[in-house]
Amino acid sequence: SHHCFSLEQINGVPTHFSLISSPSLSEPLSWILIHFLGSVELLSLSATSFPLLLSRLIFLLFSLSIQEEVLARMRSPFSLKQEFLKKWILGLQRCRSSKKNMSIFERKKVIKLSADVAMASARKGTTCWSRALIAYAVKEGNADKHLAEKILGPASERQPTEKVTVGAMAYNKRIRSKKILKRSSVIRRTIKCAPQAARPSSTVKRLVGKRRQILRSLIPGGEFMNGVSLIEETLDYIISLRAQVDVMRSLASASKLVNLN
Amino acid sequence: MSSRRSSSRQSTSGVSRISDDQIIALVSKLRHLLPEIRDNRSDKVSASKVLQETCNYIRSLHKEAEDLSDRLSQLLATIDADGAEAAIIRSLLM
Repeated sequence: SHHCFSLEQINGVPTHFSLISSPSLSEPLSWILIHFLGSVELLSLSATSFPLLLSRLIFLLFSLSIQEEVLARMRSPFSLKQEFLKKWILGLQRCRSSKKNMSIFERKKVIKLSADVAMASARKGTTCWSRALIAYAVKEGNADKHLAEKILGPASERQPTEKVTVGAMAYNKRIRSKKILKRSSVIRRTIKCAPQAARPSSTVKRLVGKRRQILRSLIPGGEFMNGVSLIEETLDYIISLRAQVDVMRSLASASKLVNLN
Repeated sequence: MSSRRSSSRQSTSGVSRISDDQIIALVSKLRHLLPEIRDNRSDKVSASKVLQETCNYIRSLHKEAEDLSDRLSQLLATIDADGAEAAIIRSLLM
């Protein structure tokens, strides 16, 4: 693939970004980003302020380009990818100051964890799996608990979770003590299981067994989900995973593109 | 996005019955998300096959996210330290 933008510099300070060719909308996201960059003249900027300004500009345009892509493909107006990207970058920036030279291993951990936390918090507490993911991340005994808390940011900035459903109560430490919690979740789980046992329809029968157990093990908080909620959560989880992977892939190709230049 | 809080959601006081239709509707939605089954036009895909494909799909998505995190961490390591483009990507990601 050819490069479609050029970067002119004066004394090492980038001054001019220009577009050589304009890619079509069907090409990968990284090209859309460049399409929107167009021609930007940045004169008389100090070397320190330029990266910051440009990174913000790129972030803004990247978000716009994702929104454009989403609208172009006629999905719902609310862009899950945009929300994920915003939160992911926020989380990454919160980890930036810690160490100047991180090992590749640590960097990968930061990238992966902030991506997962971003994917979950993009749901704004509306799904069980997303609440469970975040709860696991900050759980006592989790080796990366401090990293997760850093990514989530100060408690005042964290999003308030919506009204918790039955399954998620187990993960909301602020609300219940463990004893009451155990009792209630066992009781509710029994009630929830009862209709399925009393009325074994053929469809419901197909949803029991080993495969269902495996599915539950794959979804955060899955062991607390049952029947309809399991399928609903699975649907949402898959959609979120896909959005996460799509954005990460786009950023990887954009980075590679820049690297080659 | 997927429909949330459908009428099948149980209330805390009572015990509601999950209708077969609701389950079938959800399972078919799931089916349409899966890459392999989507191409198969047949309506007769069993729920257990859907579950199996779902598990495989989730596992492959997990693996892809893992691989992409690897790639991204390596890309940051190899980007030429002096380039202005490197500063852009670095300030975005780190």
